[in-house]
Amino acid sequence: MQRILIASHGHFASGLKSSIEILTGMGEQISTIDAYVDDSDYTTQITAFIAQAETPAVIFTDLKGGSVNQKVMLAAAGKTDLYIISQINLAIILAVLLDPAPLSAAHLDELIAQSQVERIELTASADESDADFLS
Amino acid sequence: MIAQLRVDDRLIHGQVALVWTKELDTPGIIVANDNAAANDMVQMTLKMATPTGKKLLIRSVQDAITVFNNPKASGMRIFALTNSVQDALAIAKAVPDIGGINVANVGRFAENAKEATQLSPTLMLTDSELAALKELATLDVPVFSQVVPSNAKTAISSLLKNHD
Repeated sequence: MQRILIASHGHFASGLKSSIEILTGMGEQISTIDAYVDDSDYTTQITAFIAQAETPAVIFTDLKGGSVNQKVMLAAAGKTDLYIISQINLAIILAVLLDPAPLSAAHLDELIAQSQVERIELTASADESDADFLS
Repeated sequence: MIAQLRVDDRLIHGQVALVWTKELDTPGIIVANDNAAANDMVQMTLKMATPTGKKLLIRSVQDAITVFNNPKASGMRIFALTNSVQDALAIAKAVPDIGGINVANVGRFAENAKEATQLSPTLMLTDSELAALKELATLDVPVFSQVVPSNAKTAISSLLKNHD
């Protein structure tokens, strides 16, 4: 029983799984679909995941409106406790995988808000004193 | 107290920030590293890597030992990080209360990696690091290697068995 599926055009999904395995060792908890790397029909893999999924479950897709996302939306229609998240990055999958709280739409929205793509700059900040740290 | 002292040549990075701080439930991280304590750029990248809500202190090895032995530190679970076995040994000899020492990632970025002794896929030690690790293994504290929590803990003594 799995509760996380990543579906993508090409090897993005299995690549994310590879990164997650290195970072957490929890890669075996994730199912993946690398669509269009051969001529097989991957929609059966989507329905098979949904049929066995431990709910609440999450399906991550690479691109909102892309064909992979469309197939997922159709397969998931009418299912309860099954959330679809698109426009994904590594951070949001790790956040969902590692978060101990029960999944809900509101909680997923919080995790998504904390996992955004951002531009970063290094900025100096005041050093913490020993006393601050130990207080 | 030091809940875990981790030897990791990447100091605070993905495995540490995302996974271990949750696993160990440590509100404070202390990086004990002479280079980081003297380098503003390194400090900024370490601060960026620190998870939201966790306290971070970056100190030289000697100054970190002073903090670990501060009476106030006994009531706080601290995740300590060094990037070398020698630094971990210096701390282990000077600080009495350490839950365990996790020698996790060493040697990948070393310049002389080709001459190193490979103890595991993530441990490539120079001769001086190997000597420090042997001494560390004789101390009265659990010393093991565990890259991520889902890996089994491997006792360092078993990795050292064939390297006398």
